[in-house]
Amino acid sequence: MSNVLEIRNLTKKFGDFIAVDNMSLAVREGEIFGFLGANGAGKSTTINMISSLLRSTKGEIDLLGKNIAKNAKFAKSNIGVVPQDLAIYEDMTAYENVSFFAGLYGLRGEQLKERTVEALEFVGLGDKHKAYPKNFSGGMKRRLNIACAIAHRPKLIIMDEPTVGIDPQSRNYILNSVRKLNDMGCTIIYTSHYMEEVEEICTRIAIVDHGKIIAEGTKEQLKAIITDTKDIWIGIKSEDEIKVESLKQIPGVATVRIEDQMVMINSKAEVNNLNQIIQQLIRDRAEIRSVEEQAPNLETVFLTLTGRNLRD
Amino acid sequence: MKTLIIALKEIKQALRDKRTFVFMLAFPIVLILILGMALSNAFSGNVELGEMKVLYKDTGASPALGGYWDGFVKTVGQGNVHFTPLGEGMNGQEEVKSDNYVAYVELGNEGIRFYGSTKSTIEDNIVQGMLTAFAQRYNLAASAMKTDPAAAQAVLANASAPHDIVKETALQADKSPGSIDYYAIAMTTMIALYAAMSASSLIRGERSRNTAIRLSAAPVSKSEIFAGKIIGCLFSNLICVLAVVLFSKYVFKADWGDHFGMVFLVLLSEVLLAVSLGLGLSYFFKGETARSIVMIFTQLASFLGGAYFPIGDADNFMGAVTNLSPLRWANVAINKIIYSNELGAALPAIGLNLAIAVAFLAIAIISMRRREAL
Repeated sequence: MSNVLEIRNLTKKFGDFIAVDNMSLAVREGEIFGFLGANGAGKSTTINMISSLLRSTKGEIDLLGKNIAKNAKFAKSNIGVVPQDLAIYEDMTAYENVSFFAGLYGLRGEQLKERTVEALEFVGLGDKHKAYPKNFSGGMKRRLNIACAIAHRPKLIIMDEPTVGIDPQSRNYILNSVRKLNDMGCTIIYTSHYMEEVEEICTRIAIVDHGKIIAEGTKEQLKAIITDTKDIWIGIKSEDEIKVESLKQIPGVATVRIEDQMVMINSKAEVNNLNQIIQQLIRDRAEIRSVEEQAPNLETVFLTLTGRNLRD
Repeated sequence: MKTLIIALKEIKQALRDKRTFVFMLAFPIVLILILGMALSNAFSGNVELGEMKVLYKDTGASPALGGYWDGFVKTVGQGNVHFTPLGEGMNGQEEVKSDNYVAYVELGNEGIRFYGSTKSTIEDNIVQGMLTAFAQRYNLAASAMKTDPAAAQAVLANASAPHDIVKETALQADKSPGSIDYYAIAMTTMIALYAAMSASSLIRGERSRNTAIRLSAAPVSKSEIFAGKIIGCLFSNLICVLAVVLFSKYVFKADWGDHFGMVFLVLLSEVLLAVSLGLGLSYFFKGETARSIVMIFTQLASFLGGAYFPIGDADNFMGAVTNLSPLRWANVAINKIIYSNELGAALPAIGLNLAIAVAFLAIAIISMRRREAL
């Protein structure tokens, strides 16, 4: 598989602040490439440089084998951008929105009409083409945001948090759309705060921290990085009596989190401490409902590698 | 082509915006109507004068003067000026103060003494003028009597001939704007300047809607976006300006003269100035500050340019300040084109408008090029 996108030694500085630090990566044709990073990690700056919205301080970006700085028009024509914030005109109909942006990509006449209708139908807004986005739900606006980026059939689609703040139904619709676009031959760069989304749809993932890629690979490869820890999830009836500090003193326990009547413990894999944990919970008068030892997920990987939660 | 697509989008959005109709169409049309009706007297060249009653007292100290005076009173009494002798127990000056008479005249040894009313200036001036003419004629007749009595008779005969009290000598051309005509021009040039407000949001609006990201990510150059936006803004504002012109012409019957092509060029250059000004200031100031500054500028320029009431020619500081308003030089040029057929008057206004427009466009272009995004 050839590379659709290749980044070499990319650096972006804002004054003294280094937002992207000597980053290199390659996105292969047909991939859904997940780009994970907390706020300020440098992923939006990287995406903006790929989309030609920002100029790099140093380094090269090639799209389909061509340098984007030297072939800006070619690069822009082959990229579709779905920005994190809605980028649509509320005073123009759904059809006019898609048609306007598709027109800027050089589509004209019948082809413009066909592609506009096709994009609207793809995101499930075919019957709303005459409606104004101001009357749309959050999910519908998000879908229109996507339609505006795909009508010109780009080779690479960059989706920056496309499911922020929408209902589960619209979210599923968008995730299915991403898969369909990928099936149709589009390569996709996908960023999200929702780890489960990335785990569900991305074929390869890069974790970005402080402007650098600190890990890259398939989700299995990433999880394999942290074979020395395990997650123990214990369901309880009430969180009131649980003493987090007592649990943390048990040998091998690294972190303890309590959420939604679930005690989530990250512990060293080689230490057999399950009995001690359960005994402590019994001493705390906790009513245990379930005990599950989990393999590490992306959240754990991210936490282990960056030392912070993705939503921090 | 992409420039045209962006321009068409701008026009579509502007014409769909309710604020456009309120600010650019309804507001000026209502103001033309209200100010045109309310201040119609301020623009009228005719003053209706009723009967002028003048009280007089002949002390009898100069019989010769009294004789001529009686003839004078009889002659002018055929018109609107009526001289009434002071009655018993009447105080001439008090009668004038009480507005019962416009003036009081006393004939005595020293000649004619005149007491006028400050409340009725026009009538007062007319009576004064008549008395001055009478006094000069009397002096002439008195002098002639000493040397040539026949000539004195001729002077007096001529004095008794009927004549107009006021002879109008025009200092200005016959054609001058009525109140509706004045406000039709003033409001049109005012909304032409209002284009600065929509222009100040041209790029800022794209940024606040995040659509600037999409525009920048599309294969469109900054200059195409820039040109498309200016053309769209220029066109949509010109549509509004022309709508006000046509409405005032056909509904209010405002006079737009016989050289509308030249008037249009002045308006076009003013809209271009406004668009460039708004755009340039939006690069100078961040966020809503630009819009506020443009708003203050347009209101000040409207006020000083005579949009709300006529501003006369003055050589003082205020006169110099009013000349700084783009509205002022546009209004002066258009008035000269319409009412004096001075087509050349358009050139200074168009030249100034274009020069300032070019300066602000240059600022906007340089600022835009320096920015990484729009």
